[in-house]
Amino acid sequence: MAEIRAEMVASVWKVAVAEGAEVAEGDTLVILESMKMEIPVLAEDPGTVVSLAVAEGDVVQEGDLLAVVD
Amino acid sequence: MTVTDNRVVDPPAATAVPEDPRDPRVRLAAFFDEGSLRLITAEDDSAALSAVGRISGMPAVAFANDARIQGGAMGTAGCAAIEVAYEHAVRERIPVVGLWHSGGARLAEGVESLHAVGRVFAAMTRASGIVPQISVVLGPAAGGAAYGPALTDVVVMSQGGKVFVTGPDVVRSVTGEQITADELGGVDAHGRRSGVVHVTAPDDTAAMVQGRRLALLLGHQGQLRTADVLDLDLGGVLPESARRAYDVKPLVNGVLDSPLGEESVELQAKYAPNMVTALGRLGGRTVGIVANNPLRLGGCLDSKSAEKAARFVRMCDSFGVPLIVMVDTPGYLPGVGQEWDGVVRRGAKLLHAFAEATVPRVTLVTRKSYGGAYIAMNSRSLGATRVFAWPTAEVAVMGPVAAVRILHRKKLAAVPAEERPALEAELAAEQEKKAGGLERARELGVVDEVVLPERTRSALAEAIATAPSARGAHGNIPL
Repeated sequence: MAEIRAEMVASVWKVAVAEGAEVAEGDTLVILESMKMEIPVLAEDPGTVVSLAVAEGDVVQEGDLLAVVD
Repeated sequence: MTVTDNRVVDPPAATAVPEDPRDPRVRLAAFFDEGSLRLITAEDDSAALSAVGRISGMPAVAFANDARIQGGAMGTAGCAAIEVAYEHAVRERIPVVGLWHSGGARLAEGVESLHAVGRVFAAMTRASGIVPQISVVLGPAAGGAAYGPALTDVVVMSQGGKVFVTGPDVVRSVTGEQITADELGGVDAHGRRSGVVHVTAPDDTAAMVQGRRLALLLGHQGQLRTADVLDLDLGGVLPESARRAYDVKPLVNGVLDSPLGEESVELQAKYAPNMVTALGRLGGRTVGIVANNPLRLGGCLDSKSAEKAARFVRMCDSFGVPLIVMVDTPGYLPGVGQEWDGVVRRGAKLLHAFAEATVPRVTLVTRKSYGGAYIAMNSRSLGATRVFAWPTAEVAVMGPVAAVRILHRKKLAAVPAEERPALEAELAAEQEKKAGGLERARELGVVDEVVLPERTRSALAEAIATAPSARGAHGNIPL
């Protein structure tokens, strides 16, 4: 079970996966927007997206949960 | 000195007779080229053993704790054996490698053992920047045995390794915190959280391979043969959108002769991952790579990444390893946390490290370089040997749109909202021409040359090969 957390203050620009989706290592889970850049957040290991903690347009702080991959 | 090959192969397996894997002679024999081991201290109850041998043909010194005796605890005799290894390495100017598995200073010897361990620390510090020092942590390395590796240039840790000042029992009794030894000081703790460990490995054999590789990269740097440097189109790593972050590692792999994870070694890969630091070869010669990674924190510099890069730059400078600095950064990461974390003090280390470095150091701006981070990433003003930029690169105090929003705030506010984007774009184009474009950077001489991605490898190689080789006259303090 891997908790994917935001590394920095950002807004959620796109959510690229749905709950229940199978992801491979390196797949984009969400795309954050910060420092005028679109920063993809990638799955570190293959697995299933158990839950998504954010929606497009949300603002996240450093350390906030984005998704859980099992 | 004859070095057979720059590639490091798996160390030969230990002899067929079943031996205790913690036997330091077995570990040293496994570390060096087959048949090259020669002991330089006695096999006794000192719990440390020193030897000379070869790494892919290169002479080197190594020592190992004997975990079979008092958990490898170091007393006067054991520390003296390690000092012998250091004396030999410094006299011969060859790398010294420690295979660590020790509970620290011997309690029974009291302050005498503390004095002895302190003498080892002093020997390590005197050798700093003179000979490469690599630590391979194979078992628990606690107390004095934790600070030993930490004083060396690169620390490799096997899955079974642990490093801490005080173990879980002491932690529990003093602070009440419940934690396992592995959680407290294992590969995740030090590879990701603390940055104490530079390279983690799944087992002892893999850890020794990495230790050999690193010793060879620093100890046998080779000659850069520009004729061997083939150009590749490296431009494919950039996403279509200039705003989209991307992983810089394929670019690092493209520049080096061999990718990360093979003959090239990334240091502190999971610690401050917004900055990539790696040792590899270009045209056969060892080079150090410092690269912003836009995939993490957008490639921002922050306090940890600046400090990480500063230490790496100083290590490379102290051993005469030329640097290639790949720049794509939107600036320093803003925030209260950063300011209170000492981003000013720790960021200054990177400025200092680059400005003092005498090795050839070549900068490549791939996409953008803004603000204070522009200066810190081996800019012309800090004395870069050569600054290249790809044709699409931008060098500026900040992005043009952000700049005009500040410079022309009133002008923009005065027009109706629906006309604002058009005016903003117009002003931004003007601003870019005036202050942010590559052309202006070239006129000023802060960018020497615009190179195409498909000509980049040869341009970097040529710049390093033609620069006078040099080596900084300083040690490598563990910043």
